[in-house]
Amino acid sequence: MRCQRARKWMTAAVDGELSPRRRRALDGHLAACAACRRELAVTERMLTALEGLPMEAAVSARLEQATLRRVRLAAADEGERAPASRWTRWLPLPAFALATAAVLVLAIGIVRRTGGVPGAPAVRAPRVDARGVAQAPPSLLRPPRRFAKLPAEPPAKLAEAPDLFVDMSIIRNLDKLTHFEAIQTTTLDDEPATPDGLEPPSNG
Amino acid sequence: MKRRAAIALVLLALAAPAVRAQERHGRPWQELTPEEQWRAWENYQRYQQLPEQRQKNLERRYQQFRDMPPQERQRLRQNYDTYRGLPPRQRQEFIDKYHRWKGRR
Repeated sequence: MRCQRARKWMTAAVDGELSPRRRRALDGHLAACAACRRELAVTERMLTALEGLPMEAAVSARLEQATLRRVRLAAADEGERAPASRWTRWLPLPAFALATAAVLVLAIGIVRRTGGVPGAPAVRAPRVDARGVAQAPPSLLRPPRRFAKLPAEPPAKLAEAPDLFVDMSIIRNLDKLTHFEAIQTTTLDDEPATPDGLEPPSNG
Repeated sequence: MKRRAAIALVLLALAAPAVRAQERHGRPWQELTPEEQWRAWENYQRYQQLPEQRQKNLERRYQQFRDMPPQERQRLRQNYDTYRGLPPRQRQEFIDKYHRWKGRR
């Protein structure tokens, strides 16, 4: 097997979606290719890290409204001025940026001094794991839905089987989750152990 | 009496496909909570980015999931919560174990 093909299969291998035959071929290649082993380790780390990443930071409604109000005011203010020269046409852009930056600096100052935004739910300090990597609290994992809109009518595929998409994370990891206990009792050095001594059933 | 029974039979026949559809596809969109609708919408957008083969794999697994007894589905949800709660190092270890376990299956 060539490295190019091995790398093409790596993501599927990390997701546990590679057929046993391909997995064996990939393992055979990995045993002989240090560069691909490193690549696989990086891919695994990256996918694991991606799963744990927060989508966006939560912003309080008050801060959001204040920022938007200032931006609108700045835009209206700039719009009233007739452009005297070519240079002044570019003024609204820095004005927007300045207004937004000013509001953000102000907000950060308030948060640092008071430990929270007035009217906003308190945000706990992020947990830090053994490696010193900050982990986002669950509230930060939620996307800021005020900024986006659901479609009035869901697309046909979504309307047909909404639970497929609600539970997509579980369905993606179905094999891992079905055999969770057996996998946990597997040791990395010896033969895998199953709780009842039986061969784990195939998940297809 | 016969007429009532006939009406009941007709109603049952009409309702059966809807019940079967719900068993196969789960709840209708309107029955999801707003939080679930958002999660579904976001995952749908991710799903659209996937290659066709992976979309089909997901749909196949979804049918496997739907065909499981409710207790089994609940067990998987609990396992998922446990998995998500693992610190990065332990999660990586679990993934390594999974590959080892799968390779020897």
